[in-house]
Amino acid sequence: MKSYETIVVGGGPAGMMAAITLGSKGVKTLILDENDELGGQLVKQTHKFFGDHAHYASVRGFEIAQKLQEKIFQDTNIEVETSATVIGIYPNKMVVYAKNGKEFKATYEKLLISTGAMEKQLPFINSDLPGVYGAGAVQTLMNEYGVMPGRRFLIIGSGNIGLILAYQLIQAGAEVRGIVEALGKIGGYAVHAKKIKRLGVPIFLKHTIVRAIGNESVLGAVIAKVDNNFNIIPGTEVEKVADTICVSVGLTPLSELAEQAGCKVEYIPQLGGYVPVRNERMQTSNPDVFIAGDLSSIEEATTAMIEGKIAALEMSRNFIKIAANKKNIENEINDEIKTLALFRSGPKSAKIRTGLEKFGINIKHVPKIESYGVQIGPTGKLRAIVDCTEEIPCNSCEAACSFGAIHIGENLNSTPVVDYDKCTGCATCVTACPGLAIHMLKEDLENSTALVGIPYELLPLPEKGQKMWALDEDGNYVCDSIVKRVVKYPNKTNIVYIEVPIEFSRKVLSVSFPKKESPFVCRCEEITLDKIERVVDSGITDFEELKRLTRVTMGPCGGKNCKLVVLGILSRKTGVPISKLSHGTSRPPVKPVEFSLFMKGSDPT
Amino acid sequence: MISQASVVIIGGGIIGTAIAFNLAKLGVKDVSVFEKSYISSGSTGRCGGGIRQQWTSPMNVRLAMRSVKLFERFKLDVGMDIEYYQGGYLLLAYTEKEVEDFSENVKMQRGEGLDVVLLTKRQIAQKFPFMNLEGVKGGTWCPTDAHANPQIANIAYAMAIKQMGVDLNTYTTVEGIDTQGGKIVGVQTNKGYVKTNIVINAAGGFSHEVGLMAGVDIPTYSERHQILVTESINHVLDPMVISFRNNYYVRQTMHGSFVMGQSDKKPAKGNDLGHTIEFLEEMAPKMVHDFPFMNHLHIVRQWSGAYDLSPDAQPIIDESRSVSRYIFAVGFSGHGFMLAPAVGEAVAEMVVYGRSKTTDISNLGMSRFASKIEKEHNVV
Ligand SMILES: Cc1cc2nc3c(=O)[nH]c(=O)nc-3n(C[C@H](O)[C@H](O)[C@H](O)COP(=O)(O)OP(=O)(O)OC[C@H]3O[C@@H](n4cnc5c(N)ncnc54)[C@H](O)[C@@H]3O)c2cc1C
Ligand SMILES: Cc1cc2nc3c(=O)[nH]c(=O)nc-3n(C[C@H](O)[C@H](O)[C@H](O)COP(=O)(O)OP(=O)(O)OC[C@H]3O[C@@H](n4cnc5c(N)ncnc54)[C@H](O)[C@@H]3O)c2cc1C
Ligand code: SF4
Ligand code: SF4
Repeated sequence: MKSYETIVVGGGPAGMMAAITLGSKGVKTLILDENDELGGQLVKQTHKFFGDHAHYASVRGFEIAQKLQEKIFQDTNIEVETSATVIGIYPNKMVVYAKNGKEFKATYEKLLISTGAMEKQLPFINSDLPGVYGAGAVQTLMNEYGVMPGRRFLIIGSGNIGLILAYQLIQAGAEVRGIVEALGKIGGYAVHAKKIKRLGVPIFLKHTIVRAIGNESVLGAVIAKVDNNFNIIPGTEVEKVADTICVSVGLTPLSELAEQAGCKVEYIPQLGGYVPVRNERMQTSNPDVFIAGDLSSIEEATTAMIEGKIAALEMSRNFIKIAANKKNIENEINDEIKTLALFRSGPKSAKIRTGLEKFGINIKHVPKIESYGVQIGPTGKLRAIVDCTEEIPCNSCEAACSFGAIHIGENLNSTPVVDYDKCTGCATCVTACPGLAIHMLKEDLENSTALVGIPYELLPLPEKGQKMWALDEDGNYVCDSIVKRVVKYPNKTNIVYIEVPIEFSRKVLSVSFPKKESPFVCRCEEITLDKIERVVDSGITDFEELKRLTRVTMGPCGGKNCKLVVLGILSRKTGVPISKLSHGTSRPPVKPVEFSLFMKGSDPT
Repeated sequence: MISQASVVIIGGGIIGTAIAFNLAKLGVKDVSVFEKSYISSGSTGRCGGGIRQQWTSPMNVRLAMRSVKLFERFKLDVGMDIEYYQGGYLLLAYTEKEVEDFSENVKMQRGEGLDVVLLTKRQIAQKFPFMNLEGVKGGTWCPTDAHANPQIANIAYAMAIKQMGVDLNTYTTVEGIDTQGGKIVGVQTNKGYVKTNIVINAAGGFSHEVGLMAGVDIPTYSERHQILVTESINHVLDPMVISFRNNYYVRQTMHGSFVMGQSDKKPAKGNDLGHTIEFLEEMAPKMVHDFPFMNHLHIVRQWSGAYDLSPDAQPIIDESRSVSRYIFAVGFSGHGFMLAPAVGEAVAEMVVYGRSKTTDISNLGMSRFASKIEKEHNVV
């Protein structure tokens, strides 16, 4: 049995950062993880991480893990045990773990538990059919083992994990038939949601899965609308074809080891379920035991790392003898607490803040969040268009721009502002943004065209001169385009520059290879380009008649998405410029509203 | 646009195009149809699409029954799927008196050969378990009543007549009818003049104005009626349901959306087609009351159209006494779509043979207004 000053259980970002911090303070540390390499959730993540640039934001998850690992292996104060499953925390400060079929014991003076979280289950009929997976299992199969569990996926849950999984599946060549979300709004970041919507993945809000269809394995699923109490609204059931259903309805902390170590736990739904009670410095009710990361609250890699650092600093005070050094550590802790508070000051962290208040941890004194809409910038200049209006903790673009053209400021939840006098059109920000929320634009008024530079992370890359489909924010076909330039970047976020008619300069946000099947022009009503062209060819050249025959623009969106595209097709076919075509009448309601809206009595006039 | 036509039809709605279709079928193809806007821009493109045979006047019943026969063959005859669905019509009664009236109607309608029955409240509840029948006493049920997509039907006729060689002109407004000594000699449009001796007024909400163009005072006027459509859900409702007391009609389209409307308390006169928030506020409570599942259904769009009304809410199909060969098929109120196939056939026969052969429409002439009129009761 070996003795250590500290032991870290769980080698995700929280545990790794803690070990690095402890090692750097000269504390003899053992870090244990059940997987064959350190990294936790990071290992499965192929996307660029969000967060604070100072904490590896804009770096892909598995690369963050590699960077942290290097630091750990360089430090002789840290011992690493992988493939080591901790089976219990025993009296007399003893950790017992299993490795290679053998039992090992180690003792600590201070313990950090950073075991992360596990996926929540969702009960539905036939959820035991082969083909129903948790999102994490699919990521492990796909990103670690290179195995695709299916071809056509349906994802349940629109949190960041569900959204990112959808993106990763598409990158791996699979088809994502949709994301089902019971709430009325998307759970994850808007930039993640937009990224997959542009690839044509529909998100069904206020829907849930009723059952999986199939006898031997999944053939599809029945989904239905739910009311505000999450009850299924009868009659709204529809079938979706899919061979794999991924459930991603949230994570819940793995608090068992902490409980065994004598830490008090409480049920705090905002933090993810049963979590150990702890103070601002990550110390639990057992003064020798600390926690960090998803175990303390389901959050992000950045917060996990900061928490790991805070815990480690606090733990290291125990082993430091010189008063001046103690004082320095005190300052470091306070700095990290401030950074953490800043990170959590945005609207997306409201739940976490409420949860933390239950522990008496209040986040206050945070600089104001500044929010701005999407700026268009000066027409005709090659420039960055930043479509990032949700207050999320991220500042990668600001850090990436070496011309100081993007400003976010002290509170990284503020939304970016572009100074177009400074923007040189270098496009560095486009490839740095983890949300793929930035694209390049330059109008050519003389030729009535626009050059749109779109971040592109799929393979194969298109080539210069190739004809591609230009798509809108929902992945709907807008018009044909020609590839003008393809710029490759080492971080694999490449940029494809396409030329489109100037009318569509603000509509085009995505690009795809032309497919054999005709593209959807109107996704609400599932109407393809081919269908519209056939009707036009049969002699219907009036927009109003075309609309009535095909239902195009008549769906719930009221044509907001497809009207201009349809007019573009009519214009191309008839030679009449769009400005000369009649474009129909707008009728209320501008957005679909429930009958119930009118049941409560109207505003007296 | 041709310079000379055997027949000029004013109005490219369902009535005008149905007449042109039947004329072409009878071999009269040098016909000009003028539509001042696009096809289905008038009441037709705005209507509920209901096809009902349960009327209180025997003439309406007969005409509607003939129409249903023709709607059943529409795809074959005209060449397009118009989402025709024979899901029946359910009319709801709320008082003993209404039940009594309904049973009188049923007797008459059965006499005309219509398959229609009286239903008890129990029977209705069994058929439509999702409805809240509070206050309902009974109803009538005709399984061969139907509904279809009126816009597609209108465009289907338009495409068919174009193929058959009819001269169809959209965005062309008729500005005058040229007469000499009680005879028609031509028609003036904003795009040119056509020589003709026969004119058919199928101008829907503008029938009165178009009548005056030849100096004929047709007793019609228009009134705004509002309507809305919801998002689509799975098919649950087969029939068009009408409640005269609660003042609504509703049907589910083949596409899954629900189309519904009412008569406003004080309907706006004329062809100025706006919409009001009161319409939604009045529709919501009664629809949710009778169809509780609609509470969370989304309203996607509201709009309105004109009812071209006659004094007895029945169509006027006749030839003018003062201007020979000036024929009108107007005043269809809230039921011109469903009658169109039969009316098209009848009017084409009037043009070619001097009188309608297939269906007797003699009661629908202008002369009826000289005596006391019998108003159609079954209207929303
Ligand atoms: C799909 C997805 C996308 C994400 N995207 C982002 C992002 O863009 N930006 C961001 O900041 N965050 C992101 N996150 C969140 C981030 O990955 C987590 O918040 C972070 O990994 C939590 O770190 P952790 O160290 O607390 O836990 P984990 O990373 O979960 O690590 C815990 C480790 O402990 C090990 N362990 C558990 N129990 C035992 C035991 N008994 N014995 C030994 N070892 C044990 C586990 O195997 C695991 O390796 C994402 C998460 C997912 C799933
Ligand atoms: C809300 C609503 C619901 C309804 N529901 C039903 C129902 O469920 N079932 C049913 O059977 N009926 C229903 N109706 C009635 C039905 O819509 C009409 O009776 C029918 O469409 C009349 O057809 P039409 O061709 O006579 O008129 P329209 O469709 O109005 O056609 C007349 C055309 O003439 C054109 N025109 C007018 N003046 C001129 C001119 N000077 N020059 C050139 N063109 C001209 C107009 O632009 C118009 O397109 C409803 C009506 C409304 C408003
Ligand atoms: S394009 Fe270049 S200069 Fe312009 S904002 Fe982006 S990084 Fe800065
Ligand atoms: S635009 Fe900037 S702040 Fe927004 S997601 Fe991209 S990098 Fe982050």
